[in-house]
Amino acid sequence: MGLLRYTVARLIQAIPVLIGITVITFILANLAPGDPVRLMLQGQQVDQEVIERVEQQYGLDRPIHERYVTYMANLLQGDLGHSIQRDRPVTDLVVQRAGPTLMLVVSAYAFALITAIPLGILAATRRNEPADHISRIVALLGVSTPSFWIGIMLILVFAIQLGVLPSSGLVYPWWGPDHYGYSGYPELLYQTIRHLLLPMVALGTLQMATLMRVERTQMIESLQGEYVKLARAYGVPERTILRKHAFQVAQLPIITIVGLNLSTALGGAVLIEYVFNINGLGRLLLEAIIGLDYQLIMGITVVIGTMFVIGVIITDISYAYIDPRVTYGDRE
Amino acid sequence: MAEPLLRVENLKTQFFTDAGTVRAVDGISFEVHEGEIVGLVGESGAGKSVASMSLLRLIESPGEIVGGEITYKGETIFGLEEGPDGDLQRRDDMLSNEEMRTRIRGNEIAVIFQDPMESLNPVFTVGGQLREFIELNRDLAKREAKREAIRMLREVGIPDPEQRYEEYPHQFSGGMRQRVLIAMALACEPSLIIADEPTTALDVTVEGQIIELVDDLQEKYGTSFIWVTHDMGVVAEICDRVNVMYLGEIVEQAPVDDLFHATKHPYTNALLNSMPRPDRTVEELDPIEGVMPEAISPPSGCRFHPRCPDAREVCQRVHPEAKVVDQADGHSHRAACVKHDVFDAGYDESVPLEAEPQVTAGTPGGGEDR
Ligand SMILES: Nc1ncnc2c1ncn2[C@@H]1O[C@H](COP(=O)(O)OP(=O)(O)OP(=O)(O)O)[C@@H](O)[C@H]1O
Ligand code: SF4
Ligand SMILES: [Mg+2]
Repeated sequence: MGLLRYTVARLIQAIPVLIGITVITFILANLAPGDPVRLMLQGQQVDQEVIERVEQQYGLDRPIHERYVTYMANLLQGDLGHSIQRDRPVTDLVVQRAGPTLMLVVSAYAFALITAIPLGILAATRRNEPADHISRIVALLGVSTPSFWIGIMLILVFAIQLGVLPSSGLVYPWWGPDHYGYSGYPELLYQTIRHLLLPMVALGTLQMATLMRVERTQMIESLQGEYVKLARAYGVPERTILRKHAFQVAQLPIITIVGLNLSTALGGAVLIEYVFNINGLGRLLLEAIIGLDYQLIMGITVVIGTMFVIGVIITDISYAYIDPRVTYGDRE
Repeated sequence: MAEPLLRVENLKTQFFTDAGTVRAVDGISFEVHEGEIVGLVGESGAGKSVASMSLLRLIESPGEIVGGEITYKGETIFGLEEGPDGDLQRRDDMLSNEEMRTRIRGNEIAVIFQDPMESLNPVFTVGGQLREFIELNRDLAKREAKREAIRMLREVGIPDPEQRYEEYPHQFSGGMRQRVLIAMALACEPSLIIADEPTTALDVTVEGQIIELVDDLQEKYGTSFIWVTHDMGVVAEICDRVNVMYLGEIVEQAPVDDLFHATKHPYTNALLNSMPRPDRTVEELDPIEGVMPEAISPPSGCRFHPRCPDAREVCQRVHPEAKVVDQADGHSHRAACVKHDVFDAGYDESVPLEAEPQVTAGTPGGGEDR
């Protein structure tokens, strides 16, 4: 009973999932071709002896299950290993880079929801009228255009042609105005938004398109519900029916879709960070992959996986909060 | 007799679909007097729900009320007149959409729908929904509306109404939800309640309880009812007068006793014979042969003739409009069947039709019948 217990239960259920993520990434990382030690030595001719010593130093000579146990023991203490390529603790790197990625993904979702819900409702109430057709075309384009391409086009138009918005990097408000030499918080906020705008739209368009169609379908279905007929028969104004009676019911699937699409959004963030030169987890991951930096690859994968799981849990909990029919699993 | 509460004259409601015009309600006339329970009976698809929703002017596209007149307490809910160019147009005295919403729906005419599972909004509390309708239709403040809502929940026999007020629809059984819907209707203090098959989705025991409840409350509040059903047993229990509908038309209209004991229309007869009764075993039941044709292409002549055991040749040609065939305690008994002398259609001389047990009886292109 109760949302709190439900939340705790969901968190406990997430533990096996998280363990699964570490096992899979660990195995994949260790099966991947390429020899990290040789790569680190960058083609220098060295003795086999030296290589073995380095392997020993990083524990690469021990059997895989032993290494996994060590890895997990360290992980529980917040130690994600050591980046060979950058010679820094993975945890430090990941913590530093998680902020930009989170800021990008969260803002992209905010953009998607704020635009998709009113547009979806508009399309539902103006079914088969011009507004509906336009929204259908926009949605189709949004779903079928790769986000990095949208990003490049946005840069071409707004940064290069019009020169009104910056094309690369983000401003992180948590570093404060002095770091950037801004006059104060208003300017910091202004610059944060200016920098965020293009990558946010590029990443959010796909979500916006999907959510808009779902919102439209759900509203149409909800508006045909018996409870809407009943509300009409009792003289409830059409405005209230739309905003309250039909709307609330239609939002439930939206929450589910947001949760399910988190993986697409996190994947899309990798490319968008690359296009917009944002120092987030995605770019770090790409560089780690190119450099065969196994510990770093695993560290980032585990963190992104955890973000995804937490995102799904948050959507589950908000669903339970909005839909009274969700039972909390311990009765009925 | 006093002016009726509701008078429906020659009401026609049609749906303009891709497949053609569906004449769901095709010229029905009936009245509801104060304090009466009037039945609207017929098979599925007869047009009962469309007729009910027409009374509230809640027909959705592609449907439209195309003709007739609906008068409620002297006000015109629907009415047409000939315009200057000879076309029919809506009458000036017809209530506006806004007036219908604020003055008629809910506070004058309330509804109870068939499916108590679907009629309540799953994401709001039962009490919240009840209170919203009361606030809207009785101009009460929030707190008073809540008190009234709880009082009505108690009135319809819901135990622990204070606590149940805070609960959601999924926490109620079907019968309890139907009680909530009844409470909703009564709480708005309307003069007329349209109950569209309110017990069809319930099991027999619960159905009995609900009918008893409505009977009691009807007596207490004096509200008039239009009781829509396909169950003659329910009609016998609750109705004062009955309208029998077949394919968009009222084929028989009579006080309940006359309908049962001096039946004037073969369709009503067939309905009665197909009804389970304590003095008959299941084997003796006599279901009506065939199925009702589609309202999109009704048979020519009498619409019941493909299934009527008494059908004769004349029935294919002559379309009978309901006429008074009898008088019973101040109420007329009407029937739309050429068997009766008043129709003077030559039924007696006409040759009987071969009883052809048809499954679908829509005569192609036979939509025109007047
Ligand atoms: N929205 C619509 N579009 C097209 N046809 C419709 C529509 N609504 C109702 N009809 C048609 O109108 C006719 C009457 O339907 P109605 O729902 O009034 O029947 P009913 O007597 O209430 O039946 P039931 O006992 O199943 O509720 C049917 O032939 C139906 O197909
Ligand atoms: S008019 Fe003819 S077909 Fe119609 S009900 Fe009467 S007898 Fe039967
Ligand atoms: Mg119906």
